Amino acid sequence: MTIAPIDITGVRKTYRGGVHALREVSLRVEAGEIFGLLGPNGAGKSTLVKILLTVVVPTASRGTLLGRPLGDKAALAQVGYLPEHHRLPPYLTARQAVEFSGALSGVERARRRRRADELLDLVGLHDWKDRKVASFSKGMRQRAGLAAALVNDPQLVFLDEPTDGVDPVGRKEIRDLLVRMREEGRTVFLNSHLLSEAEQVCDRVAILLQGRVVKQGRLADLQREGACQRLEVRWKGAAVSLPGCEGPEPASAADEPGLARYRVPSLDAADAQPAIDAARAAGAQVVSLVPQRERLEELFMKAVTDPVTGRPPPPGAGA
Amino acid sequence: MTAFRAILVDTYRELSSKRLFWLSMGLSALVVLAFAMIGINEKGMSILAWTIELPLLNTLTLETGEFYKLAFYTLGVRVWLAWLACLLALVSSAGLFPELVASGTVETLLARPVPRWRLYLSKFAGGLLFTMLQVGVFCGASFIVIGVRGGAWEPGIFLAVPMVTVLYSYLFSACALIGTLTRSAIAALLLTVLFWGFLFTLNSSESVVNGFRIGKEQEIAAIDRLIDRRRQKDANVDVTDLSGEREQADGALQSLRTAHRILFAAKTALPKTDETVALVQRWMVDAANLDSVSDDEPEQAPSVLEKRRRGRGTSFGVVRARERDVVAAIDADQRARGVMWILGTSLAFEAVVLAIGCRVFTRRDF
Repeated sequence: MTIAPIDITGVRKTYRGGVHALREVSLRVEAGEIFGLLGPNGAGKSTLVKILLTVVVPTASRGTLLGRPLGDKAALAQVGYLPEHHRLPPYLTARQAVEFSGALSGVERARRRRRADELLDLVGLHDWKDRKVASFSKGMRQRAGLAAALVNDPQLVFLDEPTDGVDPVGRKEIRDLLVRMREEGRTVFLNSHLLSEAEQVCDRVAILLQGRVVKQGRLADLQREGACQRLEVRWKGAAVSLPGCEGPEPASAADEPGLARYRVPSLDAADAQPAIDAARAAGAQVVSLVPQRERLEELFMKAVTDPVTGRPPPPGAGA
Repeated sequence: MTAFRAILVDTYRELSSKRLFWLSMGLSALVVLAFAMIGINEKGMSILAWTIELPLLNTLTLETGEFYKLAFYTLGVRVWLAWLACLLALVSSAGLFPELVASGTVETLLARPVPRWRLYLSKFAGGLLFTMLQVGVFCGASFIVIGVRGGAWEPGIFLAVPMVTVLYSYLFSACALIGTLTRSAIAALLLTVLFWGFLFTLNSSESVVNGFRIGKEQEIAAIDRLIDRRRQKDANVDVTDLSGEREQADGALQSLRTAHRILFAAKTALPKTDETVALVQRWMVDAANLDSVSDDEPEQAPSVLEKRRRGRGTSFGVVRARERDVVAAIDADQRARGVMWILGTSLAFEAVVLAIGCRVFTRRDF
């Protein structure tokens, strides 16, 4: 049995004044996966990462990081971390900043120089290696921070909003980098508000709400659990009532004029056949048949919405 | 060790990226330049080609080498390094710890396999490096100026490097703690300067009260000698006036002793900034052979009657004791305060402040 890079149970953090940032959080992250920690503002995502990395002292915690007890320095030497709103020293060049990060992790000089070169090339800062960080845009700083987080060749990488401030091209590059890290066997722990991005790269996710994990599992399994899988049938022709279908849906601005949309509450194409036959019989032309799964955003909203009030919780941790 | 070295280098880069660093270096260069421009000849003091005629300050009263060494200590060490350069160093480095604990910076440092206390102390050592560098450059340049212009190659002046660094370290330890607690460079600077002012006031008060105490002791001894002399001449002589005077002096001495004990106890627990600088003087005078120039010229002490007739006493309010004896007794008292008391207790205070700083930094959530 392989050791889970993160295996924690009963993590609690209560700040002075009785603010409960985390309440009995338990998580297990498997080796070589991209794990997404999602949650609204103030849910405790960053606090959890900071506890794992000894930046914040927990009120109570049990578990291991890379098979060692939480807080073990040898484990931290094999961890990379890009905090949210990180600030690289503005008086350093990108190369110096990455090398400084490596030195703090105990990487010997020749290796950290080589790694700094490789990583700055990788994150697209080839021509900016010897420029001061002070002259960088936010996106460039994010890229340099990413390089600094990877300089010690970590087994486990924590990234808190890594695409924050990065342009669409840069985001795509960072997503590709995450996938590449997974292919190299690294484990990536991703904190992100951007659900669409998390959906594109994460193998498993956990949703944190007011310091509690309210949902955790493989993304595909959670989407299946959502029971919102369906086929969308679109055709050109008169809108009629069809057997076993929901619709027609109200037309959206993006819809072609004269297009009707119906939903079959199943992912099985066979279940859509009666609807298609009925449409043809009515003289309509079927344009597309698209399988639809519940998107992460819908899953997330469902998880964080209060079933009684029907509203998402206010931002911040619970008292 | 890799991390320690990296933090030292990073701290140097951080400080040298500030204009104040170069301003401070530039001012040091100016002080040395001013130092090189002045000189001494048989008529008086010279500034470049001009000579200011001074009957008491010329090569007939003082050798050229001694003049430069004296100028180095009085202006270079006591005024420039011990006050102005220290203040500039504090202004430059007051932001080091608030920057260290700033959100976005501290997380990346704490998530490393380096104990927090080591991070804190490494940063502190980096800050001291700045002062050491500044003082080292100043002393190096002064060494050359004294050698070339004064013909005296005096390695003893490099004693100022560790001593001024130690002096700065007392203040910087407080600055680091305040910076860590408040996360504000301005608060760290202002409160440290305030603390420095408090130390100066305490030190001055203790010196003044101690001067009066010793003066009063000398006064009582002088009265006792006078009574003895009178009695030796005539055993039945009336010494009521002197006995009354002695009783009055004795009462004042008791009050001065109590006040001095309190001030001395407070001073013992706190860093001794003035005395640390005075140690530089003490060692430099010994090392650079400045005894002859640092001592006062012998003078004929005016008699008590003469003092009374002039309507003024000596310093420290004594009228019967000779001023020279009082000054010698104060000097002896100062010299009796050992290096261990001056540096040991000051460094102990610094160690306590650093330990508190480490504890705060180690236990705090960021």
